[in-house]
Amino acid sequence: MSRSRVLWGWIAASSILATVVLAAGLGLVFKDLLAAPAAADRKPEANVSPSPSAEQASSLADMKEIRIVALGDSLTKGTGDPSGKGYVQHVADGLKKKYGKRVQVLNNLAVNGMQASELIERLSHDSGYQYAVKQANLILFTIGGNDLFLSARARMAQKDWKTLEADGLAQGIEEALERFRRIADTINRLNPSAKVVYMGLYNPFYDLDNLRRASISMQEWNTGAYAAIHPYPNMLMIPTFDLFEGRIGEYLSSDHFHPNREGYERIAGRMLESLD
Amino acid sequence: MIKLAALVQNETLKLWLKKRFIVIVLILLILIPVFTYAEHKVVSNHAEHFADWRNQILQQIADMENTLSSDRIPEEWKRDRRIAVQQLQYYLDHDINPSEPSGVQFTREFLGNSITLFIPMLVLAIGTDIVSGERTSGTIKMLLTRPVKRWKVLLSKLCALTLYVSLTIAVTVILCYLISGFVFGYGGWSAPILTGFKIEGSAIDSSSVHAVPQWRFLLMQAGLCWFSAMTVAALGLMVSVLIRSTAASLVTMMSAIIAGTILSSMSSSWASAKYLFSVNLKLTGYLEGTPPPIEGMTLPFSLSVLAIWGALGLIVSFRVFTKGDILN
Repeated sequence: MSRSRVLWGWIAASSILATVVLAAGLGLVFKDLLAAPAAADRKPEANVSPSPSAEQASSLADMKEIRIVALGDSLTKGTGDPSGKGYVQHVADGLKKKYGKRVQVLNNLAVNGMQASELIERLSHDSGYQYAVKQANLILFTIGGNDLFLSARARMAQKDWKTLEADGLAQGIEEALERFRRIADTINRLNPSAKVVYMGLYNPFYDLDNLRRASISMQEWNTGAYAAIHPYPNMLMIPTFDLFEGRIGEYLSSDHFHPNREGYERIAGRMLESLD
Repeated sequence: MIKLAALVQNETLKLWLKKRFIVIVLILLILIPVFTYAEHKVVSNHAEHFADWRNQILQQIADMENTLSSDRIPEEWKRDRRIAVQQLQYYLDHDINPSEPSGVQFTREFLGNSITLFIPMLVLAIGTDIVSGERTSGTIKMLLTRPVKRWKVLLSKLCALTLYVSLTIAVTVILCYLISGFVFGYGGWSAPILTGFKIEGSAIDSSSVHAVPQWRFLLMQAGLCWFSAMTVAALGLMVSVLIRSTAASLVTMMSAIIAGTILSSMSSSWASAKYLFSVNLKLTGYLEGTPPPIEGMTLPFSLSVLAIWGALGLIVSFRVFTKGDILN
């Protein structure tokens, strides 16, 4: 009898204690609900300052490790590559092989459908984006394809072949280039020491007769983009238009817009050739 | 009064001797290390791929945004992800790591995930046969032929059940902390956690968001767990009074709870499902700021729905137990 009394004592004491504590927790919830305090705006202390970006290495060969951050649209995302690697991962693999040192893709922040205006918005206001850009010593980016080809792609998706016109492409190009200049400037301000690689545009519609002339507007864009990054010696533009012109069937994926695995491998190959 | 205490003691010891509680502890002792190991795998995988937590969150945001741009994703999922993106962005903007691995953080996640199914199941494991079991074995006759009022008998059973519910949640928290802390460290009590996200449609109203220390968040979570577990216990008591067979009452309660989780994941289109108790069990979601299963549900709403269901359960149990023909 006394053993069960002791047992009862233990159970009672501990469970009553537990009940009281849990009820207190519930009480805290009510207190929190009622007295929802005005947003305690805890601003980040001395804004995020990544440690290792200070090194002034001019070539990748001199860097201790390579930290890649990729920005931009679906081309950087790797859309169309069934292996999911895209050119970013191929470049990372290639660099690892070439230099035999640690290569890390810190972030691939590309979002399908991103336009130049969105990228500039993120770069200038999103502290996370800025943090990533500051950390990197190799930045890969693509932008502009959606600004130029959005209307053409929408019509293609609807199989609206007749209204496909190359003339519409040229219209927005000047404003888009202006945004591109701001992007290049912002990246440079955030991280002046990193190597920056921009992938030039290609015309995915080269094989369609009424869109073949789009290549001309695209070249206009490429020229403007080259002029925009030219003032920064650490920035590099990789042309891709020639890769695809004769081999659209081989290098484009089934959506007739994005490269396939081989296409991405070729793009990455070009970047690897030009990076030192 | 003294008589009631003696009755509660009697019921508590009866439950103890059924060894259900020991089984619960054993289940926890097996499950928690399994989940700890899984979490450890996740954490080390992240550590391998990301330089620090900010990169990880950034990537998470970018990945979610990519799924948002797909046309194949149903609109409700998009809404949830938009909300998640805004929350992650908020954490990032305020430089707070939402899931710094620690024993406390693991416990917090475990509680949040077990409130809808696991803890109700443990409660039912203890409580479903509390009345029906006595009817099956015939001991109810001995109990009710003694000179004690029937409502006192049932009340003592309810008290004993309450004690075990509290004990179960407390043991879950303590074991979680002790076991996972062995891997993730025993710190993290004061890490800031954001709460108070208000969800309106697919946007977040962050005007009342504030940081609370993690210990306080955990305590609040445990309190909410207790509340939903008590609702389940009250309804379990009712079913146990109404249905003679223990197996049948267990199945009834479990299917009601599982139906709730299924309805929650199907969500939205059937708005009046929000008055069902099992859709409201996930109280901790409101603290974390995850979107409610059905639009328009809030913490006060869910608390009231659960309270009403629990109260109804108790009223029915007491009425039937005192007035009904229990002995046959």
